[in-house]
Amino acid sequence: MDFKSVNDVHERLEMAGYIPSKEISTVVFLAAATQKPVLVEGPAGVGKTELAKAIARSLDRELIRLQCYEGLDEAKALYEWEYAKQLLYTQMVKDRINDIISHTATLAEAVDRIADQEDAFFSDRFIQPRPLLQAISSAKPVVLLLDEVDKSDPEFEAFLLELLSDFQVSIPELGTRKAISIPFVLLTSNNYRDMSDALKRRCVHLYIDYPQRETEMQIVRLKIPGIEEKLAADLVDAIRRIRLLDLKKSPSISETLDWAQSLLALQINELTPEVISETLNVICKYQIDMEKVRKNINKII
Amino acid sequence: MVKLIQQFVSCCRAAGLRISTAEILDCLNQLQLIEVTNELQFRATLRANFAKSMREVNHFDRLYHLFFHEMRVDPADMTQSAALAEQIRQVTDILRKKPHDNPMYDAVVDFIAGNPLEFLKEMRRIQTASDSDAQPTRFNFGPLAERFNILIQITSTAAAIAQLLQDPSLDISSTARNDLTLHFTERFNTARSIMLYEPRPGDKNTKKVKAYEQRLKELGERPFSSFTRQELTEMREAIDKLVRKLKNNVSRRFAVKHRGNLDVKKTIRSAARYGGVPVEIKYRHKPLRRSKIVTLCDVSGSVWAAARFMLNLLYSLQECFDKVNSFVFIDDLTDVTAVFEHNEINEAIRFVLEEADVHYNAATDYGVTLRHFQRDYMDILTKKTTLIIVGDGRSNYMHPEDAILGQMRERCRRVVWLNPEPEQIWGTGDSEIKAYMHQCHEVRQCSNVNQLIAFIEELVL
Repeated sequence: MDFKSVNDVHERLEMAGYIPSKEISTVVFLAAATQKPVLVEGPAGVGKTELAKAIARSLDRELIRLQCYEGLDEAKALYEWEYAKQLLYTQMVKDRINDIISHTATLAEAVDRIADQEDAFFSDRFIQPRPLLQAISSAKPVVLLLDEVDKSDPEFEAFLLELLSDFQVSIPELGTRKAISIPFVLLTSNNYRDMSDALKRRCVHLYIDYPQRETEMQIVRLKIPGIEEKLAADLVDAIRRIRLLDLKKSPSISETLDWAQSLLALQINELTPEVISETLNVICKYQIDMEKVRKNINKII
Repeated sequence: MVKLIQQFVSCCRAAGLRISTAEILDCLNQLQLIEVTNELQFRATLRANFAKSMREVNHFDRLYHLFFHEMRVDPADMTQSAALAEQIRQVTDILRKKPHDNPMYDAVVDFIAGNPLEFLKEMRRIQTASDSDAQPTRFNFGPLAERFNILIQITSTAAAIAQLLQDPSLDISSTARNDLTLHFTERFNTARSIMLYEPRPGDKNTKKVKAYEQRLKELGERPFSSFTRQELTEMREAIDKLVRKLKNNVSRRFAVKHRGNLDVKKTIRSAARYGGVPVEIKYRHKPLRRSKIVTLCDVSGSVWAAARFMLNLLYSLQECFDKVNSFVFIDDLTDVTAVFEHNEINEAIRFVLEEADVHYNAATDYGVTLRHFQRDYMDILTKKTTLIIVGDGRSNYMHPEDAILGQMRERCRRVVWLNPEPEQIWGTGDSEIKAYMHQCHEVRQCSNVNQLIAFIEELVL
């Protein structure tokens, strides 16, 4: 099910409901072909996460997502021992343990005997796999999305390096786990801080900007099938002009789609200043932005 | 192909992009997988491997355009340029042999001959150079003079070539001469445009925060600089209240902090109560990561009002941070960390105003300040440090040294610039904030208490 060529990527992403630019499909193809992770950057709402979902759909793979945040550590990202279960089992098999050591002569011998059983308690049974371990131990290849990796701590980033370069992780009690199948890894970043050079070197980089007018039109047509051509064109033009205003939060593609959807629901098929003014709260998320757009409404139509 | 990519990489490196050998190898491998003749794919591949952050994308695009479009003639007239190649070599050889004593001349001739490496290197050096030599009078002439030198070299080379092409003894046909003139004019134009171009990474990824939350109604919206003495006292009380509230929030957050690994000792001890059955499982506490703060405060006239409130807030919340290092500056850097650690805040502020070794009459110079910081304090910046700079970026037309801020950015976690000026006048007159903005993760206008509070809250929580 792998991608065959850049055009193949393009077609299949489109079929999965995502309209990629040429650059996106090239980078996705290269990353898939060379099994390298992709580091995706771009403003909020241009479809970074959506890209991962679309790739998962087009490759027919499961998407495993790990949302990064400050303080995220291995226990939350990789694996955790289920202490409660371990203790419970210890209690339940107490008698068996007594049996094992009942015939021993010395304390040292008893300890040795118990040590032989160690594996029973540090085994897969008691491990709770978190997204990263799930991704590499899954028999079928998956798509792994590390969302907002720039929000995580530098320590976690360092830990990611082992995973991203060799697709293996070390669990002290069990040894090194190699990936059964190599996942397609995407990391997204919002430029909260710079990523380390070491991490960047292991990834191919993809910068997604606001789409070209044509691409955005295509996206609107694809996602909102019922929309009239003229309304869609007016809408996209208006949004693109709103983006030029110096707003606190520029409207992104998701806002375009929300807007189109609500216009459709209101059965409006022409954009007038009144219509924009009334439906502005779909596009702008801040009061101050709305006021600004209202003031400049003549420039938008 | 390998050679072409290598040349391109050398140019990128000369222009300041960091590209490792591993990345070149990756790129070459990937080029085999795509249709190299499709330019969109070719460029996307190069960009994905060589420009590894948003900041570098613009710079890369510019270099790509220069290298593959401006320096190579368009594929359409490739045959023509191949025909000219011999003549170009001939002309530039003659130029090279001319006696001269300026290394820049060689770079310009190389550039004309189609090898931009030296030229880019030189431009890069000038763009990132700092006026490190102690000068008797502070002046922003260094980079300007060097650019002037380049301009002279370009002009003189152009004149030499024009003269050479007029020379009847040269074995070149008249049509070829015309083509050559056109070709060289184009190259010279390119060289001039590179000279004028400032390769600043786009600032569209710098977060620009505008705080609109109106917390303290009246005082909160007043600009810092217009406080009367009485209002200052009121303000202090309001801030005290706020600090208490913030601390409460923080401690609540500590209370629900996520647990760490199993604490065997405690679990066994508590199990003793239930006859050795571990009913309660105890986890180790995992303290929240605290960040280190380094502040650089411009304390000249207008900015000081904002800086004092920021320092006031930061030090009231000191327990939320690992360490707060503070520096004040006007024309030079003064470390005031100790003053703030050993005195009560208001006392410390008074001390800085009256007794610290700061030249209040001098003109603000950000360049010297940054240079001084680079020389003496670079090692306090770590990956856990948030660097906060409070200032208007008005450097009295002195060298801004924004390249040093770039180096500082590389060492620390985040760089945040608080500017007390209204955004409309950023970049006007001697304000260098636009130059600094490219090196920051976040730029905020911070001219009243509400904006300051919004920032501090984000920092602490």
